[in-house]
Amino acid sequence: MLSTRVIACLDVHNGRTVKGVNFINLNDAGDPVEQAKLYSNIGADEICFLDISATNEKRKAMFNIISKTAECCFVPLTVGGGVNSVNDFRELLNCGADKISINSSAVYNPNLIRQSSDKFGNQCVVLAIDANENKSMPSGYEVTTHGGKKKTNIDVLQWAKEGVKKGAGEILLTSMTSDGTKKGYNLKLTKLISENVTVPVIASGGAGNPKDMVDVVLKAGASAVLAASIFHFGIHSIWSVKREMLKNGIKIRECEKKNE
Amino acid sequence: MKLVVIDYGSGNLKSVENAFKNSIDLNNLRYEIKVTSCLNEIYEADHIVLPGVGSFPDCKKGLTQINGLMDLLTEQVVRKRKKFLGICVGMQLMVDYSLEKERTNGFGWLNGSIEKLKKDGQDYLGNNYKIPHMGWNNLQIEKKSHPVLKDIAEKEQYYFVHSYALQTKQKEQIIANTIYNQSFPAIIGKGNYIGVQFHPEKSGTSGQKFIYNWLKWKP
Repeated sequence: MLSTRVIACLDVHNGRTVKGVNFINLNDAGDPVEQAKLYSNIGADEICFLDISATNEKRKAMFNIISKTAECCFVPLTVGGGVNSVNDFRELLNCGADKISINSSAVYNPNLIRQSSDKFGNQCVVLAIDANENKSMPSGYEVTTHGGKKKTNIDVLQWAKEGVKKGAGEILLTSMTSDGTKKGYNLKLTKLISENVTVPVIASGGAGNPKDMVDVVLKAGASAVLAASIFHFGIHSIWSVKREMLKNGIKIRECEKKNE
Repeated sequence: MKLVVIDYGSGNLKSVENAFKNSIDLNNLRYEIKVTSCLNEIYEADHIVLPGVGSFPDCKKGLTQINGLMDLLTEQVVRKRKKFLGICVGMQLMVDYSLEKERTNGFGWLNGSIEKLKKDGQDYLGNNYKIPHMGWNNLQIEKKSHPVLKDIAEKEQYYFVHSYALQTKQKEQIIANTIYNQSFPAIIGKGNYIGVQFHPEKSGTSGQKFIYNWLKWKP
């Protein structure tokens, strides 16, 4: 039986993590490599780096981070942020990334999904969708870019289906209205997308406690849950999330080091 | 010992190299590892790893584009009996053919065909089965005594990502199965060659255990 994945996400800005794991004595709490290593040791099923650097120059730091992480973390590694071309895909994959997530670049150039999945396989292409509520859209949700600031007039459900048709192997779905609230994932949105696409859907945005993660799996059919801040701030550990899932009948991957 | 990881343009070579290096260093094994497409290097190697991500036809195309590579691999693996590991599509290539996109022949070292995973039906949570089968799953061990499974329990999980799986009537070549809507072979093998549908290089400590076992294995 397949386990539900718990994914730890790290926001990287100019080569440093934005929110540090501050509950454990790390040599360098702003070092993405150290943090990724820690997360994989305490049971994260995947690591996700999101590069939010403003310039391409600063993004180069990411290559080094991925190479170093891939040398010591033997779990799948997803990288996103500033990926605009098949060549960007190749460079990141050569460093040791396993999957690449694309967001705005896919909206402005949908062919990138097809080109990259043809080249590297659809298992490698994660379509990240930032969804905002908009009653005038058929599904009630609109695709946004630039961290929710720019509207696109594209319907989220239609975009998700189109992305899968073009070769996305997975959808990373973030609810911009829930993101950062710690009040739980957007169940309605997640259910809508996961019921209507054939590929796995990763729920993101709004996790405040382990129960939220259980809910989005049981009530909305998410294949994986992604969170950043609740792990970083040490309020909940990966194992506390997994233990709650297990208690609710969700299959998880146990880990040797059960960091509480 | 010289170990080669075949570079034929198919993805995550770095991950495979890293994971094997880690096991070699950690356990002080006497291995030299090389990622290469050079026929001479493969000819001189003691052991061979064939990774593979993406589609079966693309991987096959990558192999055939290197003149003489397919024949050399068959010669080295089947006739010279060099220890071999095929990973994911690298494993799928070991059998007769795949039906992904179009019918494409593999090496045919083992019997069977690569066919699309079934997606009808619902999982234990009442959700539709998603394709690809992506994430961590258990093994149903068929050959407990096989050296590559030393100290590996059924509760351990391995990272899978694939939409096609092996179907075969030759049950004796199955070392372990995995269940996702259907049962399919997760580890296959015969004599000196082994193939795994999952990614040991991405399977954490369980993957490291498997890699170590394979490295220590003397078929």
